[in-house]
Amino acid sequence: MESFTIGHEYRYVVRRFLYHMTDLFRDSYRYWELIWALALKELKIRYKRSVLGFAWALLNPALLMLVLTLVFSTILRFNIPHYAIFLLSVLLPWTFFAQSLSYAVEAIVTNGDLIKKVAVPKLVFPMAALVSNLINLLLSLVPLIILVLLMRHPFYWTWFYLPVPLLALAIFTLGMTFFFAVANVFYRDVSHILQILLSAWFYLTPIIYPLDAIPARYHWFFKLNPIIYVINGFRLAVYYGKLPHAQSIAASFVCAFISLIIGYSIFRRYQDTFVFYV
Amino acid sequence: MSSNAPSIRVENVTQRFRVIQERPDTVRELFSKLFRHQSSYHDFEAVRNISFDVPAGQMLGIIGRNGSGKSTLLKVIAGVYRPTKGSVRVTGTIAPLIELGAGFHHELTGRENILLNGLLMGYSKRAMLERQDRIIEFADIGDFIDAPVKQYSSGMYMRLAFAVATEVDPQILLVDEILAVGDAGFQEKCFARIRKFRESGKTILFVTHVMGDIREHCERVLLLEQGSIVTDARPEEAIAMYKNLVTPELVGAD
Repeated sequence: MESFTIGHEYRYVVRRFLYHMTDLFRDSYRYWELIWALALKELKIRYKRSVLGFAWALLNPALLMLVLTLVFSTILRFNIPHYAIFLLSVLLPWTFFAQSLSYAVEAIVTNGDLIKKVAVPKLVFPMAALVSNLINLLLSLVPLIILVLLMRHPFYWTWFYLPVPLLALAIFTLGMTFFFAVANVFYRDVSHILQILLSAWFYLTPIIYPLDAIPARYHWFFKLNPIIYVINGFRLAVYYGKLPHAQSIAASFVCAFISLIIGYSIFRRYQDTFVFYV
Repeated sequence: MSSNAPSIRVENVTQRFRVIQERPDTVRELFSKLFRHQSSYHDFEAVRNISFDVPAGQMLGIIGRNGSGKSTLLKVIAGVYRPTKGSVRVTGTIAPLIELGAGFHHELTGRENILLNGLLMGYSKRAMLERQDRIIEFADIGDFIDAPVKQYSSGMYMRLAFAVATEVDPQILLVDEILAVGDAGFQEKCFARIRKFRESGKTILFVTHVMGDIREHCERVLLLEQGSIVTDARPEEAIAMYKNLVTPELVGAD
C-alpha cells in the first residue's frame, strides 16, 4: 500500500475523476451510432405489432393525463388548481427515471448472449436504455403542452429553462443505470429490489403532493433525497413559472455528478468480467 | 504497413475460467456461503500459455478435439474475453465469424439487422449503408430481406450473417466451424469468398473438424490439446498427430 498525504489524495481523486469522465465522453461519442441504433431498436420493439405503433409513445402519456385529470378534478379534489399539470410536470421526468432504471437493470443480462459472442463495448447497453427513455420523455412533453393549453394554464417563459433540469436528470439517471446494470449481473436479486426501492422512493419524493404538505420538522429528511432538487426544477418551471434557487440548481448537478462518478467507476471496474457471469 | 509484420501476435495468453459448482446467484446464497466459508469453485484454464504469430496473408488452421480451447482462443483474439494473462495484438480490422448472427435481433427485419450488426462490429452507419446492396445480393434471400429474421429458415439466417460479416471488407477473418451448416451451394459460395480473401492477402484463422478443408485451404496448422499448442506444423503433420490423438479414444470405445 502506498501512503498519500492529504494533498496527493485529493489530486489523485480529481485526476481519476477527469480521466473517467473523458473516457466516458469519448466512448459515448465513438459509439454514438450504435447507442442510437440500439435505443431506436428498443422503441421499435416496444411498439411493434401494435396497430397504432409509434403513436403509442404520444398516446400513452396523453391517456394517462386524461385519467389523472378526470380523477383529480372530479373524484379526489386537492386544493391545488390545475392539479394534473402540477402532477405531470414531475411525474413525466420521474417516469423517465424509473423506466430507464427498470430497463437498464436488465440491460447487461438480457444482452448476455451478445456479450459472450461479440466484442462490444458494454456501456452501450445502459446508455441505449437511457436514450430510448429520453426520447419517450421528450415525446410525452407534447401531450403535456396540449394539456397546458387546454386547461388554460399559463404558458410560462420558464419552459425554456427545462433543458437544465433535463440535463441534470439525465446525468443522475445515467449514473444509477450504470450501477444497477452492474449489480444485477452479479446478483439477480437486484432487479426485484429495484422495483421496491423505486416505489418507496416515489412516495418519499414530493411528486403527487407538494413539499409544503409535509410538516417542516421532516424537511431535513426530504433534503437528503438526491432527486428532489432536479424534480423541483421541473415543477417550478412548468407549473409555477419560476426558476429554482442557485443552490438548488447546484445541488441537482452535484447529486448528478456524484451518481455518475460512482456508477461509472463501478461499471468500468467490472465491465470486463461481465462475460463470465451473464 | 510493412507486409511481413504479423497481423496477429499472441503472447503467453492464458484464459482462466472460474467454474463455480454452485454460484451464489442470490444474496441469500451469498450470505450462507460467506458464513459457512465455503468455496465451491475451481479454476479451469481453457487456454494455457499460448504464443504464436500469424503473418499477414496467412491462412492458419486450428484443430483439436472438443474442449481443447479452439473457440476460446478465437474469442480472446476477437476481444470477447480479456485474457487472464498475456497479451494479444491485432493489426487491422477483424471480422469474427465465430457465431454467425449473434447480433441479430429476431423482431427486426433483415435490412435493419444489417445495420445493427455492422454497428455492433464497429463499422459506421455510412459504411454499412454503402455496402447494404452488396450484402443483400450475396445473401440472396429475396423479399425476406424486409421480413423479421425470426421468420427466416436457419439457412437464410446464416446466409445473411455470413454476407454481413464478410462484405465489410475485414483484414482478418476468424472462422469457427460455421461453414458446416448451410447447403452445398452456399458452402461453395462461402469457400469461394474465402479463397478470394486469401488472394487479396487477408489473414484468416480457420477452426474446423473437417480435415479435408484444412488440407485444401491452410498452409499452416495449430493442433491444440487441453489448452496448449501440441504442434505448429504443416497440415499433413498436424492432421496425422490429430488422428493419433483421436484414435485411442475410438479404440477405447470398442
